[in-house]
Amino acid sequence: MSKKHLLLPLLAFTLALTGCATASKPEAMVATTATPVHKSPSAVTISVAGGKDTSKMGASQISNDSFGAAIKSSIEQSGLFAQATTESGSPYTLAAFIGKVDQPMMGFSMTVTMEVNYTLTKIDTGEAVWTKDISSTHTAKAGEAFAGVERLRLANEGAARENIRQMIEAVSALQLH
Amino acid sequence: MKRLISAFALCVCLSGCATSGAQKAPGADLSKLKTFYVAKLPADERGIERLVAARLTQMGFEATSGAEPKPVQAADALVTYQDRWMWDITMYMIRLNVQIRDGRTGSILATGESMRPSLQRKSPEGMVQEVLTEIFKQ
Repeated sequence: MSKKHLLLPLLAFTLALTGCATASKPEAMVATTATPVHKSPSAVTISVAGGKDTSKMGASQISNDSFGAAIKSSIEQSGLFAQATTESGSPYTLAAFIGKVDQPMMGFSMTVTMEVNYTLTKIDTGEAVWTKDISSTHTAKAGEAFAGVERLRLANEGAARENIRQMIEAVSALQLH
Repeated sequence: MKRLISAFALCVCLSGCATSGAQKAPGADLSKLKTFYVAKLPADERGIERLVAARLTQMGFEATSGAEPKPVQAADALVTYQDRWMWDITMYMIRLNVQIRDGRTGSILATGESMRPSLQRKSPEGMVQEVLTEIFKQ
């Protein structure tokens, strides 16, 4: 086989494996809880910091907006608070700081570890009623997607989903009114 | 043939650019931190924790490092990190993430990252310096 015939498949394989990174999707990060959640009649304002935007040539990332949207949908679906919004004016604020998203550079199975610091503050007193660092991990297996960038996105989304699930269960245990 | 090789080389070159950055948790005040403990990443066999502690000392802080996940003696901040390496002719550090945590609670106060693909590679000392400079310039 000539070098030309070897190079063409190599180039195609490289492009297929690298591809363009896609950002983690909010709808794929929405958490569902297995246990019933205590439902607070109050509203909560969500803010997120520490996230990163995805560049086409970089790795899949979790942005502030997409993680915030996933938290909002997860809270709404679970009923943890009567209303979840990104607008100010709610009795509670939930601030999430994405402090760590540890991603592999490559691999068949890709494991992402995520650590988020959550602080729930009661607005009228200014008191932080709950704060916790939550760590979560998710592995996207080789069979889940052919392209590495896609497996990384799936691992990001799984880690974020699990992180939000733990947050909801922890806040639910506070029995807020 | 030359076109194919050029296209392949372009793919490899474009597959990454050097980036660095840092973010601070809302309300975190790093100026209060004077003493640091750098916890060795269990998988790290290159002594990156010592490089981080040495750089912090150069920056005027009091810094120690060790294999214990938490400081044995009280410290204002706990430092954790994750280093990723790749091979291209020689091994090189492609990415370094550093987290500055509250020494008492372990909560992340600030985080920084340096990502340098092969063509923009730096020494581990250079990567450490780059990340810590980003974190403390905030």
